[in-house]
Formats: sequence, structure tokens, C-alpha cells
Amino acid sequence: MINTIGLEYFKIRRKKIWIMITFFIAAEILWAFMSTSMSIARNPDHAVWESVIFSISSMNGLFMPIISAIVVSRICDMEHKGATWKMLVATNVSRSRLYAAKYICTNSLLLYGILAQTVLMITFGMIKDFPGGPPLYLLTRFIGGTMLTTLAVTALQQWISMAIKNQAFALCLGMLGGFIGMTAGMFPSIARHMFIWSYYLELSPVTFLYAESSSTYMEQPMGLGIVVAALIMTFLFYIAGNIHVSRQEI
Amino acid sequence: MKPRETKNLNGADFRMSASDIVQTQNLTKTYGDMNRVNKVDLHVEEGEIYGFLGPNGAGKTTTLKMLLGLIKPSQGTVKIFGESLSKNRPSILKRTGSLIESPSYYGHLTGLENMRVMQRLRNVPDQNVDEALRIVRLENHKNKKVEQYSLGMKQRLGIAMALLAFPKLLILDEPTNGLDPAGIGEIRELIKSLPSRYGMTILLSSHLLSEIEQIATSVGIISEGNLLFQGRMSSLRAKSRTAISLKTFDNVTAERLLINQGFSPIQSGGRLEFHNLEDTDVAEINRLLVSRDILVTRIEERKKNLEDIFLELTGKERSL
Repeated sequence: MINTIGLEYFKIRRKKIWIMITFFIAAEILWAFMSTSMSIARNPDHAVWESVIFSISSMNGLFMPIISAIVVSRICDMEHKGATWKMLVATNVSRSRLYAAKYICTNSLLLYGILAQTVLMITFGMIKDFPGGPPLYLLTRFIGGTMLTTLAVTALQQWISMAIKNQAFALCLGMLGGFIGMTAGMFPSIARHMFIWSYYLELSPVTFLYAESSSTYMEQPMGLGIVVAALIMTFLFYIAGNIHVSRQEI
Repeated sequence: MKPRETKNLNGADFRMSASDIVQTQNLTKTYGDMNRVNKVDLHVEEGEIYGFLGPNGAGKTTTLKMLLGLIKPSQGTVKIFGESLSKNRPSILKRTGSLIESPSYYGHLTGLENMRVMQRLRNVPDQNVDEALRIVRLENHKNKKVEQYSLGMKQRLGIAMALLAFPKLLILDEPTNGLDPAGIGEIRELIKSLPSRYGMTILLSSHLLSEIEQIATSVGIISEGNLLFQGRMSSLRAKSRTAISLKTFDNVTAERLLINQGFSPIQSGGRLEFHNLEDTDVAEINRLLVSRDILVTRIEERKKNLEDIFLELTGKERSL
């Protein structure tokens, strides 16, 4: 399996996927830091670690589905473009193993993006001199929640990207996901829980309480039900995609 | 068949027997109501070059894909190396190299990097990569990105990737597509040398009769999903028998007369056709007709070539 995962990394050389993720994350972070800075300027009470974590979590609802769709699509599309999937499948390596290697490779790349976000959040907090040290508990929950949602999103994206040659479908789904992720906060909770893209905010360790006079950031308790729902969606999307692609005629 | 001694890549001796390397039974693939491949019983013996011949859309690629497990048969069984494909796919594919339809490649990688991808999957030494690239004469272009290759070079790379593990069975689907005449000649010679040099069995498909005729030791002819002929190339050639064609001013009377005299003429295109005639028979027929005042205007010898036989079998009168 290690050999097959290594092969995926070998195949994406010159694809500049790392650089693309870095640019997307940089754009997102810049946007989030600017809005947090403006918020702090209007209300000095917002100069807390929670503000930047919440800001990035809500921005992830828009950016991560799109980044995930692009990364998955780039990794899967190279098999369609050069008709290499049939070549790989005609070797003694099983389709399930090849599928798993792609999934692991994609998510390791996106984990790099999430870790980069975390490091930049810490840097921003220290520059802005937020009270106390970096909140390791909240940051760990941020990484875990974002990664768990990403695992489900990439499972869905990989299914579509591998099963349908035309990557426009997969990219449209990513954009739709980004739209739902961005506007998730406006939906009632039942509707929110149906869409995996809203889980970036659902699994965020911080929430924002709106009040008429003042609004505050506060820690969001970890909802076990949401975690289980995300795990179930990951499992279902991955298994369904794996079975479908493995049985697909080439 | 007498066992033949050959050498594999490492120079080790091994023997080949006449057992079937590929054997299918009632192999059928149905799409909707249509049988793209219909009850095909393929037999490919060890060490031979089996030419799978048929017009475009005859079902060649579909059959080859079923042999590799890329598509699932609607009916029938596939045995390769005497093992069932459905039960022992990984072990079979480990010993099989293939090039199906167009060559597969990663355009953003170099030729060498593409070979490395296959090397990792096949788990073979560097020596095999060098040898395969040398065989297809790509060693001087190995560091160029494949997207910059010509179609012929891509095809060569595809063949090199199929050869990489020097498999026991090599399945090549239209391997000379996109090659120039010199390249076709080279690949033909390469394919011909593989069974004796590396102990491979080769199953290659083509819609070009001339190609199969020059390479194959056995042949299978498929048309509209049905296997119409299967056997040694020599048996197919044996069908190219000679016929004597005769034209007279009164074919009907001539035919009646010759039948009464014990000959077996067949009316064909305004002429009388005879098979298996000796020279003395031809002279006797001519004498008989002239003696009854039936004037003979033409006596011609006609030999059916393989193309005629192929067209006769497939029922295709157009160019393939």
C-alpha cells in the first residue's frame, strides 16, 4: 500500500498541486485576517483567538469544498486524460488499492492546507497580541473538525471525479458545495445537517452569538451526533465510490 | 508439438509446451439486445503469435478487454495459464502485459518517468526499464515529456510499458496504429522475435490482414462478434486453392456436357469454375468443348488470396 501511495505522489510531480493549495489558502487567509482586523478595529473585545478561528472556519465553508474539488479533480483527471486507468487496472494491483491510494494522497495534501491555516492563525494571533497563548485545545479541534469534513467531501468528490470523465461535473459540485458551505449559517439546523459542506462550521470549535446590543465569540461544545454523522457520510461516500468505480467497465 | 527451447530475459532456459495459455469458452458480451462478442472460444497456445483479425467494430477490443478483466463477460469463462480469470485475476495479470486501444501515458511526465510508474506497479528492476526502452528505441527520448511525443513514439512507449515485466503473455491491441511504415516494420520484427527471445506468447489484434499474415503463427478471424475461423496460419493459407475459370459462347450447354463427362463445373459470374483440376483435365475439357462446336474464349487460372478468403469469411466486400 505504501508503494501505491508513493506512486500517487510520483505521478503528481510537475502538477504544482502544492503551490495551488498554498495560493488558495493564502487568498482565504488574507481575506479572513482582513475581516478579523476590521472587526477588531470596530470592537476591541474581538481581539481574541476565537475570532480568528471562527473567521477561518466560516471561510472554509466556501473555500475548502472548492479547493477539495480542484485537488481531487487534478489527481483523478490525469488517469482519464492519458487513458491510464485501464493501464493501472490491467496490472495485478487491485482497483480498491489504487482508489485508496488516491484518497490518502488527496487528503494528505489537504491536511497540509489545514495545518498551514493553523500555523498562520497562530502567527496572526501573536502579531495581534491576543490574550493568552495559542489555544491548543481549540486549534486541535479546528484541525480535527476541518479534516473530518474534508474527508467526507473528498470521498464524494473522488467518486464523481473517477466515475465521470468530464471534470466539469466534479468542479460544479465543488462550487455548489462552496455556496452551501458559505450560506450554511442561514439554514435551519435540520437542513444544515443534511449537507456535508456545512460541517466546516458545525464542527468548528468556536461559534458566534448574535445579540441586539453586542455579539460575542464563544466555544461551541463538540456535538457527538455531528461527528458521527460526518463519519457515516465519509464511510458511505467512500464505499459507494469505491464499489462503483471498481465495478465500472473500462 | 515438439517442445522448443527458448531463453527469458535473464538467460535462463525454460521449455514451452503446446498447452493453451488463453482459453475462452462461450465468451459473450451483450450490450442491450446486441451481442458484441458472441460465444467466442479462443485457444492460444504457448509460444505462438496469435493474430486476432477482424474488421473495425468486430469485437476484437471487447474480447481482449474481457481477457484482462477490464469488462465483465455477460456469459462464458476465461482461463489464462490454465487458471480461471474470475478467481485468480491478480496472479494472472502479474504475468500478463497489455496495450489496449490507444497507448496509455501521463503526458506531464517524461518517458522514463512513465516507465517508472509501471516499474513501481510491476516491481521489476531498473534493468527491465532500460531494456524495454532500448527495444522500442526510445532511450534517446526518455527524458522528454510524453505530451511532446509523436503518436508513433507514444505507441512505442505503450509497447515498452507492456513489455516492462517481460511477461509470459503479451496482449497487444492494434500495436502498429500510428506508426510510419519503417516503424511498422520494426515493431513487426520485434513482435516476431519475442517468443523465441523471451519465451512470450503473443496475442495481437489487427484489422489489417497483411500485418497478421506477416507476423502470426495462428489466427482467429472475428466478425460481428462471431469467431469465424481459428487455426494455424498454414491452414488458412491452404484455403487459398487454385481454380480454373473457363468462358465459352454457350455456358449452359457446356456445363451440361461436362457434368455428363464427370466434371464438376460451377457457374460463377458468366464463367464455369473448376477446382482441383490437373493440366490433363484442362486439356480434355477444352478438347471436348471444341469437338462439340462450343467455342472456348478464355481459360484462366485463378488463385484465391488470403484477402479473398478473409472477405469471404467476414462477408465484407469493402476495404477494411
